[in-house]
Amino acid sequence: MKINLRLAFTKMLQHGVYAIFMHILGIFSLPLVLYNFIKASGQDQCSDEHERLWREAEENGELQLLEQENYERLLKKQAFFSTQKSEASLRAEAKSLAREDLEEKISAVAPVKSSFWTRWQNAWDAIFLHRGQFILSLILSFPIYLMALLYLRPFARYVCERLFLMIFVIIGVTVLVFTLLYLSPMDPARNVLGELATEEQVAEFKRVYRLDAPYLVQLKDVIGRLFTFDLGKSYVGGEDVQMAFMRKFPITLTLSFYSVLLAILIALPAGIFSAIWPNSILDYSFMVIAMLGLSIPNFWLGLILILNFSIRLHWLPASFVAGNWKTLIMPVIVLGTSMSAQTARTIRSSMLEVKRSGYIMTARAKGLSERKVIMRHMLGNALIPIVTIIGMQFGSMLGGAGVTEKVFNIAGIGSYIIDKQFIPDIPIVLAGVVYVALTISLANLFVDLLYAFIDPRIKSRLKTN
Amino acid sequence: MPQIQFTADSQREGNLQMGSLAKAKRLTKWQLGRNREYRMLKFCTTLTGFLLGVALLLLLLQPSDQVWSFRNLSFSNLAFTFVLSLATCWRVRGEVIRENDLSRLSRNLGLVFVILGLFGNFFLQLAGFYLLDRHHRLECQLAIYAFVANWMVFLISLLNLFKEYVSNQFFLGLSLNLAMAIILLVMVLLTSSNCMYQTERIHPLLFVAALVTLAMTLSGNLFALMASLVIISKYRRPESEIEPQWIEVISRLFRNNMCMIGLLYVTFLIIMSILSKFTFEPSLAEENNYLALFIKPCLEYPFGTDSFGRDIFTRVVLGAQISLVVGFWSTMIPALAGGLLGAMAGYFGGRFDNITMRILDILYAVPGMLLAITVVAAFGTSTFNLVMALSLSGIPGYARIVRGSVLTVANNEFVEAAKACGAKNLRIITKHIIPNALAPVIVTMTMGIGTAVLSTSALSYLGLGVEPHVPEWGNILKIGSAYLEQQPYLAVIPGVAIILILLAFNFFGDGLRDALDPKLK
Repeated sequence: MKINLRLAFTKMLQHGVYAIFMHILGIFSLPLVLYNFIKASGQDQCSDEHERLWREAEENGELQLLEQENYERLLKKQAFFSTQKSEASLRAEAKSLAREDLEEKISAVAPVKSSFWTRWQNAWDAIFLHRGQFILSLILSFPIYLMALLYLRPFARYVCERLFLMIFVIIGVTVLVFTLLYLSPMDPARNVLGELATEEQVAEFKRVYRLDAPYLVQLKDVIGRLFTFDLGKSYVGGEDVQMAFMRKFPITLTLSFYSVLLAILIALPAGIFSAIWPNSILDYSFMVIAMLGLSIPNFWLGLILILNFSIRLHWLPASFVAGNWKTLIMPVIVLGTSMSAQTARTIRSSMLEVKRSGYIMTARAKGLSERKVIMRHMLGNALIPIVTIIGMQFGSMLGGAGVTEKVFNIAGIGSYIIDKQFIPDIPIVLAGVVYVALTISLANLFVDLLYAFIDPRIKSRLKTN
Repeated sequence: MPQIQFTADSQREGNLQMGSLAKAKRLTKWQLGRNREYRMLKFCTTLTGFLLGVALLLLLLQPSDQVWSFRNLSFSNLAFTFVLSLATCWRVRGEVIRENDLSRLSRNLGLVFVILGLFGNFFLQLAGFYLLDRHHRLECQLAIYAFVANWMVFLISLLNLFKEYVSNQFFLGLSLNLAMAIILLVMVLLTSSNCMYQTERIHPLLFVAALVTLAMTLSGNLFALMASLVIISKYRRPESEIEPQWIEVISRLFRNNMCMIGLLYVTFLIIMSILSKFTFEPSLAEENNYLALFIKPCLEYPFGTDSFGRDIFTRVVLGAQISLVVGFWSTMIPALAGGLLGAMAGYFGGRFDNITMRILDILYAVPGMLLAITVVAAFGTSTFNLVMALSLSGIPGYARIVRGSVLTVANNEFVEAAKACGAKNLRIITKHIIPNALAPVIVTMTMGIGTAVLSTSALSYLGLGVEPHVPEWGNILKIGSAYLEQQPYLAVIPGVAIILILLAFNFFGDGLRDALDPKLK
């Protein structure tokens, strides 16, 4: 265990970001490190030897010899490429080359004095050599040991690294969206209060919502609020944004979930059958239908469904009511079919690619049943692009479902953002975009982890890294 | 024991027979598949059948009152041509199987199709031209498509004659259109006959004709452009055995019929949007006319009028122009910006790569639609803002694609060889890496135009696209959706226009991917 921890320390110190974190989290252990560092630097003698050798070489004429050798080599090179360079520049080049050569030669015999950073790393390492120091640092700064334990577990480490990077992405998204809204020529105060509002009222509104503060102050406010999960109140109606999102997010998630489910249910058989019998009538018709599905705008399909099934036939209600599953049917069909088109095409193409591989022939030669060959060997190996596309579409649905939500009057997150765009109600728009981005990032992380379970090669690569 | 052997023997024999039967069947199929005329005829007949089915469905849903109405007439025209083409298809099939060539009569039937096609069935016109064309020259096929696209525009513009008034330049535009159609027809005749190809070098007259056709590219006719370029290239290099790569790509495009139909439709829309400046009256599409509210589709207003009395037909036609312009720019800008960033990131690697890609990850984390909504809402609805919004969300996608393909290309031996020869970075990027990494970008761009059109109309539908008075398809749909119950055609027709343009770009993109794929050479 101790050996593993020591190894993890050494590796973490070589890794820029981890090293910074080690010094922050292990701030109480730093005196120990400093002690080791000072103790070790008294014993270093390498550098004198190095300098002595250099002086000797210069006096012997070894350096001049090397310089002449390099100069002749450069002349030959010039003759070969038939380029023209001045005498002086060639000399200078030869000189620098000679110094490099000599440095290399001497370093092999007597290494240079190790850099500050290497000695500092050794000082960290020295903690493990003394039992007392080790126990003391374990008590003083246990967070770094927790971090080292995390570092030793590849999956946990991978997830944590991704989550850490996600923070920057989310901050980036916040800055981007906030800047866009800040630069906007629209004035929320005027839009909320109306044209007749007096100057004082507008100023008061701006003061209450801190819209008169400079850009950086507002940005700091916004990011601070984001990390404390206090999203503030909307400009119109003073609605608590956090509560509103808690109400609307589940609706969008339910919609997306069922749509993905429907898409997989349609796309899987269609894609598989098209790949098994390529260029058959079945394949052609599936792929033409998929192309149609790809080309039909969601909102148009929604309108057509409403026209036929709600207005003409009165089978299904046209607008969404929470808790009534019947109202969910049409939106799910609209979103699901458009998603299934792309998914089916991906399934077909990636399975066709796999179909030609040697291991499929091996599987058949072993006498496996056709079903097993297709389901286990072909689909199993073709799964990576399929999972990718489903994950991507799930993400784009969270943001892009807004149009469909508007058509069916669903109180989801997309239509909420669109409704508040016109003011623009900055807290809502910002929070909405950031939350959608967060969900998508999480979904991407999930998909990447799924890769490791699908493909053992990716799993082992994750472990060795 | 012997009995078992007997059954095994007979089984083997049976297998053999089955095998030879299957083999003969496959041979026939191969023979039929190799014959261009038959393939095109079959394809066009299928499409006509599909159209006939749709027309029948529409007719059953809303039967016409009069027997001699326009709708009934066009339906019977369609049915007649379908039966005719079905019969010809059968005949040609028999001939191909028996003699592997077409008889004189079958070829001459092509002329009937071409003439019938002048009244509207463009698929059959194409098949007819294919039947007449014996030599299968690339330039001839391109000229055929160019003519058909041009003629489609001519016929659609002709519908304006039923209006109360037409635009001032209407007859100028129409005669221009007709003149171009005639030149293209001459071009088809010249390239399909042997008289221009007697000598080693192509006859100079054809070269002059190609130059004339090249000038016609100004009308947006992509096929005319390609045809003239092919002829010029052949004229300049008469003796070369190897065709330039771009000619090869074009001829590979012809393998996929759906792709060619897609390109035909795109070309048709481009010509339409350029020539509609002459032949269509914009005031009909933009100004209110309270004397003509909610008129059902008729000859004067082929797609009816909306709640402001604006002619939907003119609006849809003019909408094509906006869709194409927005689609073009919002694909071009991110492709150039993202492509440049991705290429540099992939080529230089290291820290630059890391920083660029992390910054683009931020853009990538926000769904494109949401980002576009935010941008348009922040800066107001206008075509420029819309293009900017769509471009911004497109950048990271292109950067990733280009970076990926540059990474694969940059590791190839020829790049290393160029470096060893002392080539500069800029030269390596422009001469070696970009041409080799271009194919996936071109395909993505083709599909991207379709997606941009879709996003534009979705945003317009939300009221976040272009200005409301502009005849954009999403805008038309938005108004139509308010009158879904009484006037469903107001919402259905622009939707169909969007679907068709998307289908065209998607099919074309699919075919282009196959044509550019080096594995399929």
